[in-house]
Amino acid sequence: MGCEHLEGIQAKHVARCPARGRRDVRAPSCRRGDGLRTWRLKAAVHYTVGCLCEEVASDREIRFSKQTIAAISELTFRQCENFAKDLEMFARHAKRSTINTEDVKLLARRSNSLHDVRDRPQARVYGDSSITVPASLMGQLKYITEKSEELAQFNSEQRAKKKKKLEEENQKPVEPAEAAAAKKDNSSL
Amino acid sequence: MEGTSGGFRKELVGKLLQLHFKDDKTKVSGDALRLVAELLKIFAVAAIRSVRQAQAEDLALVDVDQLEKVLPQLLLDF
Repeated sequence: MGCEHLEGIQAKHVARCPARGRRDVRAPSCRRGDGLRTWRLKAAVHYTVGCLCEEVASDREIRFSKQTIAAISELTFRQCENFAKDLEMFARHAKRSTINTEDVKLLARRSNSLHDVRDRPQARVYGDSSITVPASLMGQLKYITEKSEELAQFNSEQRAKKKKKLEEENQKPVEPAEAAAAKKDNSSL
Repeated sequence: MEGTSGGFRKELVGKLLQLHFKDDKTKVSGDALRLVAELLKIFAVAAIRSVRQAQAEDLALVDVDQLEKVLPQLLLDF
């Protein structure tokens, strides 16, 4: 295996899956100095990827080798590092310390633009014609982004309404006081 | 909306990101966390499906050889 992303994948590791205790799940590999926290996180990712593999494999007479599941989960784990660093940089660039949805949308920009053009023949590499092509997978991300924007807008509208209502209620006790004050001024003239 | 019911838990994604932040003060908003979880799921499912696609019809087991073939395109797309 010459690809550097597959380095460190050792198929000979056998352990119980910490999430379920299933003996047939191989534990993720860890380099020296990784630490227990990293191992636990890798194991959690491995478990989730395993579940996703099972779902995809269930509609066909197909199985994924343990090495493949381990490799994909290692890939996902490493991709997280890229995501985290990029997101942090985007937020910092905007002079924020909290990462928000705009940063995530920026992160996914490449995927969106690639799969928007539905005629691209390469787009079909990821899926069969019977299953939805990744264009819709990216579309799902877009859909979620739109939904979260709708939600944010709805929230801000609700807040604006509440604020307006509070302001109206606050003005009522003030009016009679002003009227009384005005009356007093008029009488003194 | 979702074709697959499995996914990455928000708590897990939060911890995964925290692991690689350079600044301790960096945090992630709830919505952003949800989106990143979805993005990771899309990435994993794309990897899984592309590997399955590269699988020859007569083999019942998907192995790392297929993953090697699809890896470059997958990483370029992301």
